[in-house]
Amino acid sequence: MYPPKLEAIISLFESLPEIERRETLVSYADNAKKQEPRPGETFVLEDVRKDEECADTVGVYLQVDDEGKAHFRMTLGPEVQTLTRAMTAILCKGLDGRTPQEVLELPSDFVTRIVGAELVRVRSQTIYYVLTRIKGICKVYLDRQRMAAVA
Amino acid sequence: MTTSPTQYAHPEALVDADWIEKHQNDKNVRIIESNEDILLYDTGHIPGAVHIDWRTDLQDQVVRDYIAPDKFAELCSRNGITPETTCVFYGDKANWWACYALWAFRLFGHEKVKILNGGRDKWKAEGREMTREVPKYPPSNYPVPAKRYDKEIRAFADEALAQSKAGKPLIDVRSPGEFKGEITHMAEYPQEGVLRGGHIPGAKSMPWKTATNDDSTFKAAPDLAKIYYDQCGLKPGTDTVVYCRIGERSSHTWFVLTYLLGLENVRNYDGSWTEWGNKVGAPIEKG
Repeated sequence: MYPPKLEAIISLFESLPEIERRETLVSYADNAKKQEPRPGETFVLEDVRKDEECADTVGVYLQVDDEGKAHFRMTLGPEVQTLTRAMTAILCKGLDGRTPQEVLELPSDFVTRIVGAELVRVRSQTIYYVLTRIKGICKVYLDRQRMAAVA
Repeated sequence: MTTSPTQYAHPEALVDADWIEKHQNDKNVRIIESNEDILLYDTGHIPGAVHIDWRTDLQDQVVRDYIAPDKFAELCSRNGITPETTCVFYGDKANWWACYALWAFRLFGHEKVKILNGGRDKWKAEGREMTREVPKYPPSNYPVPAKRYDKEIRAFADEALAQSKAGKPLIDVRSPGEFKGEITHMAEYPQEGVLRGGHIPGAKSMPWKTATNDDSTFKAAPDLAKIYYDQCGLKPGTDTVVYCRIGERSSHTWFVLTYLLGLENVRNYDGSWTEWGNKVGAPIEKG
């Protein structure tokens, strides 16, 4: 149902007691910076903006390789919350190598399985924000591909 | 006209980072971090600080209310807090949740409370020590408080309505857009389920942030007096009710009015707009 890399992450989180789940989320959050674009990398689409739903600017960068597989990079402003940082690292890793269409069709119900019931609250709904942004850039990519095919 | 104060009414209620560093090993002091960012404490905190979560620790998990006195006693006991412990609160968002936690401690009658001026942001900006080590303190035996001080520092919807009808001071500390009813949530935040926008009739708009400097510290007493006495028309001794959307921003203003300006009879309507904006028949003004 889910991409294998993402499934492995979900399984890991579901196996963890609450304290270790928190520690692992913090560890992923620490690694969010590693998802930033690297010197020399080029992208087919870049989407950097600050939305109302998020505390700071979030940038999503999409690269699609010759096999049609998507690779994501992201930048996060300093005010972005820890859970959002964690989801950034998780999704960049878990969705790497899937096609934009597969990413777009991904259900979002896995998010609570990673984060756990205790950390999901109204004010932390931005845990879904990163997935929404990643899907958004995939949709733009696919729309452009379709338009180019028609033209 | 109210005489403008030259200093805070209760300067002892605020401490700075140097004070914290001097008292880190003081067994009569407990430093408490309380944040909006649920995992922020886990990423690093002031050495020796314990974490109190506004929702899981301070709120009842079924009814929309605060924990019962016996649960408060348990919370304090497991953090090694006694009635004699000075609790110093700090956190993110310019101390919103620190003030909320302090207010909740006052609900249970805990008197020795302080705020770290500037909160977590200033501590971090100054490059002060942070750690991920979670401290362990010997459990205390905090007595179950005899009562909760709801009547004294908390307002319920019917009391906010009475305040409105009587033309007594109501301060809406949300953003201007929320006050006017143009939006039903803060910018940068998800909608928290409010059906109607606007404000309680008669309320004055004074966003919480007006009371703070850019570094998240509180403004000086004369500046606060101008804001709340001159602009809002508050007077010592007059019943005042403050509210926001779920009670955290208004806790910040409650702290300013109660501890920094020394106003008595200030109550926090913590049901705030998520209650009022959904309440059938509740009067609303827009604009």
